[in-house]
Amino acid sequence: MAIMRILLPTLSMLSLLAWPATGFGLADGPVRTLRVLAWPGYADAEVVKSFEQRHAVHVDLTLVATDEALWERINGNQGGDFDVFAVNTAELQRYIDRRLVQPIDAAAIPNTQRQLPRFRKVEAIAGLTRGGKVYGVPYTYAEMGLIYDRSQFAQPPDSIAALWDPRLRGRILAYDGGGHSFSLAAMILGKASPFRMAEADWPQAVARLIALRRNVLGFYAQPDEAARLFRKHRVALLFANYGTQQVKALKAAGADIGYVIPKEGALAWLDCWVVTQGTKDLALAYAWIDHLLGEQASGLLVARQGLANTIAEPSGSGAADRLLWLEPMENPGRRDKLWARIMSGDSAARVLGP
Amino acid sequence: MKLKLAQRFALVLAAVGILGAGLSGYYAYHASRELLLRAAEERLLTSTRVLMRQVVTALQKGSQDVLLLASHPRTVAALTAATGPERAAAENDIAALFVAMLKTRPDIYQLRLITAAEHGMERIRVDRDEAGLLRVGGDELQEKGHYPYVYETLRMPRGSVFVSNPVINHERGAHAGEDKPSVHLATPIHAANGVPIGLIVLNADLDSVFRMLTSDLPGGIGLYLTNGLGDFLLHPDASQAFAFDRGKRILVQDQFPATARLFDGQTEHVVTTATPDAASVAAFIRQPLNPPQDNESFVLGMSQPTAAVLSDSDALGTAILRIVFAFSVLSLVLATLLARAVTEPLNQMVSAVQRFTAVQERVPLPIDRQDEIGVLARSFDEMQQKIEMQMGTLQAKQRELDHLASHDPLTGLPNRRVFLDRVEHALARAQRTESRVAILFIDLDHFKEINDNLGHAVGDLMLLAVADRLRTTVRAADTVARLGGDEFIILVEDVESLDAVAMVARKIIEALAHPVWYQDQSLAVGASIGIAIFPQDGASTTEVIARADQAMYRAKLAGRNRYCLASEASGDTHTIPLDL
Repeated sequence: MAIMRILLPTLSMLSLLAWPATGFGLADGPVRTLRVLAWPGYADAEVVKSFEQRHAVHVDLTLVATDEALWERINGNQGGDFDVFAVNTAELQRYIDRRLVQPIDAAAIPNTQRQLPRFRKVEAIAGLTRGGKVYGVPYTYAEMGLIYDRSQFAQPPDSIAALWDPRLRGRILAYDGGGHSFSLAAMILGKASPFRMAEADWPQAVARLIALRRNVLGFYAQPDEAARLFRKHRVALLFANYGTQQVKALKAAGADIGYVIPKEGALAWLDCWVVTQGTKDLALAYAWIDHLLGEQASGLLVARQGLANTIAEPSGSGAADRLLWLEPMENPGRRDKLWARIMSGDSAARVLGP
Repeated sequence: MKLKLAQRFALVLAAVGILGAGLSGYYAYHASRELLLRAAEERLLTSTRVLMRQVVTALQKGSQDVLLLASHPRTVAALTAATGPERAAAENDIAALFVAMLKTRPDIYQLRLITAAEHGMERIRVDRDEAGLLRVGGDELQEKGHYPYVYETLRMPRGSVFVSNPVINHERGAHAGEDKPSVHLATPIHAANGVPIGLIVLNADLDSVFRMLTSDLPGGIGLYLTNGLGDFLLHPDASQAFAFDRGKRILVQDQFPATARLFDGQTEHVVTTATPDAASVAAFIRQPLNPPQDNESFVLGMSQPTAAVLSDSDALGTAILRIVFAFSVLSLVLATLLARAVTEPLNQMVSAVQRFTAVQERVPLPIDRQDEIGVLARSFDEMQQKIEMQMGTLQAKQRELDHLASHDPLTGLPNRRVFLDRVEHALARAQRTESRVAILFIDLDHFKEINDNLGHAVGDLMLLAVADRLRTTVRAADTVARLGGDEFIILVEDVESLDAVAMVARKIIEALAHPVWYQDQSLAVGASIGIAIFPQDGASTTEVIARADQAMYRAKLAGRNRYCLASEASGDTHTIPLDL
């Protein structure tokens, strides 16, 4: 009955001779548009605005919240919907496999010179290069350290072995995820790589994880869930799957906590800016990455998001050399399957069974 | 200009009519929509309350079930048995109880007895399976101590029931309940010394609860259930439920922004039409769990498409639109008629005034009307009558004055001024037609004696008689005038010959020769006549009359009762033999 909604007011308006002003004046879009796909907090409004002003262009920013959503967006139209996006090094592999992204010419991005040396040594970062070509520019990262309740520790825990410490039984929170859990097990077992377990390693890892299951209060999936349990059950130790974001949230909630990178190292994800194979404006995509490595954008990452940037060392951690950048795992499906059994409470024999 | 006034008048009246009809139509439509929406909100809220009561009842029923099982003496015995056979016997009894309950309660997936020892190992577990009920045993029993329904329940006091967050149950080996939406209800079991030794866990089938809730819903109604954080558990679009299980958050606060007030504790229920697409009316109720625990509350809501709610108002809107249109047309017609009714008599009077001004002709006015226009018409008519009467009097007086100014008061004959005027015209005419004009100058003989002897009154009688005789003697077209005293003058036009003029002069002399009787006295006057002819005797009025005057003198000198022509020699006169 749209006609009624239009006719009646119009009739009365007509009689009153008071036409409502209609909104005209939609400005023509700028000639150049950059289509960016990013994560919340990666490119705040002022960062986008300053880029648009500097280059007299328009930025079409789309946000995603999960790896799956990112994959759908990029893979959905062969990358044709975007020019540049942010993805972690482990996830990046399947984008390279599908030829959705193109090699990057770092020389065209002057601000890469401002990055910390360890982020400039691209060959040292697993997953960033392939066939001698660089596919991403590191932007931000977070490591999965340990959060502990200061009141329950005389000495801060320095090893992930604390997760198995019987004295802390029922006061530990771990993360409900197969991939990272097996990586943790591989680290405590001293394996060469947490991401590539040998066949013989599986029973040991399962045994370790069952032991972990028996030692923890519970497993969490969401950071707010972890924060609630941490405070409700006076938890002593927390495996911080979401890293410094969780530290920030818990401190904001008033918890007296500390945060450590264990001596075995910490799993860490590293998000990089990558350029799609089908970008319509390569120069502008490079300019975007250059802009995001500037003081403004990279500074906001630390100040506002509690994440780390690649141009300055985070204050006070001093553990930069112990970060284990996430890599594709030897068999994510198997890890998930076995982890589901472990979570369900099965014995080792049944976990490893058919 | 007249038309314009009528048009303006009609336009204003019509605009007022249309505006009135339009505005009242619009407000009626608007009000009806508001009423329908409010009624729909109220209805949805009531329905949601009813459903909420069902949910709460279902929860209470489940709670009573677990409490019943926990309070059974064999339950404690199964957990505290000293020997293996004792324990097995107690466990069998409880398992039988579980089976009995599961048989009557198809909405339960699983019943378990879990010990607080051995990392929360399951002691008795009866699962529902496609084939029926299944008692799980041996190494299929699992350690559950790290699940909230275990560690939270063991921390609760006796008699309380833990209600878990509704989740998709990913616990392997859960048979029918595996990967299905479930909620765990659990209650602790305490030893005599008050130490928690185990718990009863009931795994409820949420799908069956959802089916119960949605079964009686009419079409077009959307049902929503969320957990205490707003994550959808039940959504008309199934893909939006349990999104957190897939690493996403799909929140009621995002789809129905008004529900944010439910979660910050401001209110227990909201009704809203402000959905992002504004296409539905919705009501939501938040139900806190008592005592507050893991899942602090849940929110139940119903929505109905606005279009369905407002379908009645659309029919009403059409009807209103028709009425508004009809009234608009009616007001337009009425306005035109009214404008005409007012302006027509005005126009009539205007044309009457114009006609009266132009030709002093009276036009009928609407004097029979009883309204202001009738009063105006009557006043105007009266004014016309007065003017007409005054004009008549004025004209009569004017005519009288004119007559006085141009005629001799005694005889009624034209006076000198009129005569001279007529002569002027006659001469001009004669000049154009090349005809001739004669002037006969007449002086009465012996009049002075009559006047002196018998008085002026008799003299006047005499003059009247002379005038009368002169008038009857000449042609109607000829002009007889009195110049004063006993002098008369006659203008004869279209003179064919001197003889004809002479004939006239003779006739006059004869006519005047007859005596006039006054008181048995015969009074007689004669006439001496001088005749001048235009153009031969003079070129102008003055000249011709002067010549006639001279000729008259000659006639008088020659002995009276005769006429004399100006053109003749001074001695020639014409005596008329009178037969008296």
